[in-house]
Amino acid sequence: MGSTSDVGRRDLIKRSAALGLVTVPAMSALSACASGGDDDSKKVDKGKKSAKNPLAVNESAALDVVIFDGGFGQQYAKDAEAEYVAAFPKTKGKVKHAATQKIQTVLQPRFNGGTPPDLVDNSGAEQMDMGTLVGKNQLTDLTPLLDAPSLDDPNKTVRETLRPGVVEMGQFDGKPVWILYYAYTVYGVWYSKSNLAKLDVEYPETWDDMLKVCEKAKKKNIAGWTYPGKYPYYLPFSLYPFIAKIGGREVLDSIDNLEPNAWKHPAVKAAFEAYYELYKKGYILKGTPGLTHIESQTAWNQGKALFIPNGSWVENEAKKTTPKDFQMAVAAPSSLDKSDKLPFGTLWASGGEPFIVPKSAKNPEGGMELLRIMLGEKSTKNFIKQVSSLSSLNGGTDGLSLPPGLASAQEALTKAGKNVVNPRLQDWYVTLQKQQIGVGALGEMMAGRMTPAETIKKCQKFADDTAKDDAVKKYKHV
Amino acid sequence: MTSHAEPSELPGVTKEDEAPAAGPAAKQPPPGFTPEGRIGSEGKVLNVFSHGILVVWGLLVTLPLLWAVMSSLKTDKQIFTSPWGLPSALHFDNWTRAWSKSNIGDFFLNTILVVGCSLIGTMLLGSMAAYILARFEFPGKRFIYFMFVGGMSFPIILALVPLFFVMKNMSLLNTFHGLILVYIAYSLPFTVFFLTSFFKTLPSSVAEAALIDGASHTRTFFQVMLPMAKPGLISVGIFNFLGQWNQYMLPTVLNTDEDKRVLTQGLVQLAASQQYKGDWSALFAGLVLAMLPVLAVYILFQRQVQAGLTAGALK
Amino acid sequence: MQHGKYRFIAGFLALPVILYAVFVISPFVQAIYYSFTDWTGLSSDFTMVGFKNYNWLLHDDLFWKAVGHNVVLLLVVPLVTLGLGLFFAFMLNVGGRGRKNAAVSGVRGSSLYKVIYFFPQVLSIAIVALLFQFTYNPRNGAINSFLDGVGLDSLQQQWLADPKLALWCLMAVMVWSNVGFYVVLFSAGMSSIPRDFYEAALLDGANRIKTFFKITLPLLWDTVQTGWIYMGIIALDAFAVVQIMTVGPGGPADSTQVMGYYVYTKTFHDGQAGRATTIGVAMLIVTLIFAVIVTRLGRRERLEY
Repeated sequence: MGSTSDVGRRDLIKRSAALGLVTVPAMSALSACASGGDDDSKKVDKGKKSAKNPLAVNESAALDVVIFDGGFGQQYAKDAEAEYVAAFPKTKGKVKHAATQKIQTVLQPRFNGGTPPDLVDNSGAEQMDMGTLVGKNQLTDLTPLLDAPSLDDPNKTVRETLRPGVVEMGQFDGKPVWILYYAYTVYGVWYSKSNLAKLDVEYPETWDDMLKVCEKAKKKNIAGWTYPGKYPYYLPFSLYPFIAKIGGREVLDSIDNLEPNAWKHPAVKAAFEAYYELYKKGYILKGTPGLTHIESQTAWNQGKALFIPNGSWVENEAKKTTPKDFQMAVAAPSSLDKSDKLPFGTLWASGGEPFIVPKSAKNPEGGMELLRIMLGEKSTKNFIKQVSSLSSLNGGTDGLSLPPGLASAQEALTKAGKNVVNPRLQDWYVTLQKQQIGVGALGEMMAGRMTPAETIKKCQKFADDTAKDDAVKKYKHV
Repeated sequence: MTSHAEPSELPGVTKEDEAPAAGPAAKQPPPGFTPEGRIGSEGKVLNVFSHGILVVWGLLVTLPLLWAVMSSLKTDKQIFTSPWGLPSALHFDNWTRAWSKSNIGDFFLNTILVVGCSLIGTMLLGSMAAYILARFEFPGKRFIYFMFVGGMSFPIILALVPLFFVMKNMSLLNTFHGLILVYIAYSLPFTVFFLTSFFKTLPSSVAEAALIDGASHTRTFFQVMLPMAKPGLISVGIFNFLGQWNQYMLPTVLNTDEDKRVLTQGLVQLAASQQYKGDWSALFAGLVLAMLPVLAVYILFQRQVQAGLTAGALK
Repeated sequence: MQHGKYRFIAGFLALPVILYAVFVISPFVQAIYYSFTDWTGLSSDFTMVGFKNYNWLLHDDLFWKAVGHNVVLLLVVPLVTLGLGLFFAFMLNVGGRGRKNAAVSGVRGSSLYKVIYFFPQVLSIAIVALLFQFTYNPRNGAINSFLDGVGLDSLQQQWLADPKLALWCLMAVMVWSNVGFYVVLFSAGMSSIPRDFYEAALLDGANRIKTFFKITLPLLWDTVQTGWIYMGIIALDAFAVVQIMTVGPGGPADSTQVMGYYVYTKTFHDGQAGRATTIGVAMLIVTLIFAVIVTRLGRRERLEY
């Protein structure tokens, strides 16, 4: 690099730039379109349909499964795969199981490459954008699975055995069901009964009480709240149902529908201001904006903060750091005041762990059959026991002694009754929900860098931008 | 490294530095008498000042690394409760856990295989092309030269998506040989640029003599020119080795097969799994395991590495 | 002879040129082509949309934010890295006590310093990024707990979680890992500058700061300029540090979004490969502008010795 070459570097770059212009037309002849040749993915032949094999699975074909190895781990899926092999002995050794936390990094290239697996648990911080996958026609319609007889009772279809709302969540527009949510997640404000007892308080059912509890904790040098500041899109887990509680579920629907001024609804403002007050009064654990979910959960486990917005996977995920006498519990958001539209107990519950069968999967019937097995009583019980979470099969808890968090989740669910909300932003518009509203607005507000008014403006702008962007497919509540 | 140690006691000091300490003349200079004297007094202040600054930066460099090593020997709880405390006991089990459970060992082997082959290929193809471009006249030469060199200024990420499909259509995705070919191709611009100018500096008389003696062009290249170009080859070789060993983006996109991951991918994956499993100590252990061999090789060959990299940079 | 020569040329060039054309040139050319399509990257059908993507780009706030961050990176990272590199190299080579037989000399243990400074250079950027992600951790990371330990907890920061600091945190990491290389590079250059140059200058009454600007810098100018281009390319990329270290990733309030990472998210997250390649083309243009500026500014008389 010294001054050795007779063409100085200085000229070099300029000339190569000029050259680039020449090369473009010259090379375009060379470069046969890279995107060409979507060879019709060689699907395996269908097997013989029978009572035991309603989906006509090829009984000897390989099966390729990728599981998100997060809060629930992967063992439950492995166990179900063993059941699959037991049902189709010729597939022994042919079930390829992989698990990762980085679903998108690992799988998106396989989708782009046209060789996706047969069944994917598309979950976690790095899940692939569902709206995009559906919008770009990358998934298999799971209707055959839903209409197939269930594993345990041939007189009932799979559809009939699921919890209410699960099928609808898998639909985007129209009939086809693209996603089957396997877990059933209860979102809300998570706390430790024993830590509250130590402070001599109970879970505050009104926001005024919430502030009082936080103040009391502050005096003992305990923070009221923490949340995963690195992934602030955990905040909506308690914030969105709070909004619905204040202003009714239509507010959330209009937000989901990207309606103009949806965020300007007074309920949103009231909810934001309430949360902002937590920051203003110093009730948020110091350093929270820089924490991951594990770090914030750990701090919460250690009793450094009382409340954390989270989902029911937390019990299993935080198992390692949870003290024995922690008595984990979940509660619905507190009431703001008497004029709230919905009663205390309103919470967010919906499917979690979205399972998908890619369109160009080689063995889609196999993928669906594995799901059918997983939705059987045996696998469900196994799942509940292993990961302390409900599954979308309606039931499966009989005869099991539930761990405290799960028991509390089930209780909260019963208490909520009809008042379960299910905001769709996070599966319809992942980027909007996580990166923009989550990190860009809510995270900033809770770190004290944005006022509620500014945050509302920002959210509205993000939503408007998404609404305007014709590269993003839109979905609506019906 | 924490104290202001007397440098001559430390390893890795060259002869030049072991020269006898400044004599009395320098310590008590006759003011303004000789240039040496004048510099001596100014030098003394400067000397303290420069050592001070140099030590500070040395600490800035080493402390994070030491901190990682320390953390890798602690329990998860200690990492949280006393980040700077010394480990109460040396938990080497973190290391074994990282090695066996997170397949760091396999990642190592994969990386060695990929980088080894790529490096040989890069050096061979690069030097062949550079030799031609430096020593021969033919139509289209400038075009080819600038084509190669232009690649240095292109952001790789721009090519990534189409490259992915080129690889796909050639069935090279998720294969070692595919990754090796890509590594070679993307190392060529700098290699060709560097070696072309290097070959130009070599005297042409030796090669001409060999040709007159009846040696073929090919033989002349391999038996005469390559040995002469050794210093250049070494420096560009080290440069490419570091670049390929540390490559992260290309394998992330082009090589997603679980069994074929290279070290950088494996570590990031390990970090992601820590986010869900909370196994911090194993993550630090994995980091240290990945760092140590490279640092060890570097310390052993530090003179070659430094000389190699810089000899080339300064002709 | 002539015939043999061409056969030899063709034989030697064929393989490297083919490899390069297939894996480097053709993807770049295709990328430019795709930037005029609405290709999703997920399937093979797409249509030409003319300049629609470019129009989108011009009006995309996030893109301009990313460009801004890249420009800051381009200015600050090379400047600080090369500045520190030069400074330390000068210290190592000229900062020593005068000796009986030399007017200027390096500090003692200079090669030990060089070994240590060079450490980060041999580590993968992925490792470095992971390491610093923990170093910056606001609760139990090395920095905040160190500040706490020495009683300076008022200086504790959110680091990567603070949009005002996040980008600077990344830049510090990039500087940290690259300074060593330039210390070694520049001090090799300095040690090849004849000593009499310094002695002559010192006899003329110049102090060391003056000698640095009058002698050292001009003689090293070529190397510095090369270094600037290398650092510029590193700064433009920044993909790994952003992807591995930052909140989101992309930073709180997009404070660390850079073009390289934006290309990645648009392709592998949003399924908008057409737009992604458009950003890539913009990146290419920025690179070329940068290169031209550096070479223009660098046009200075070269001192021969």
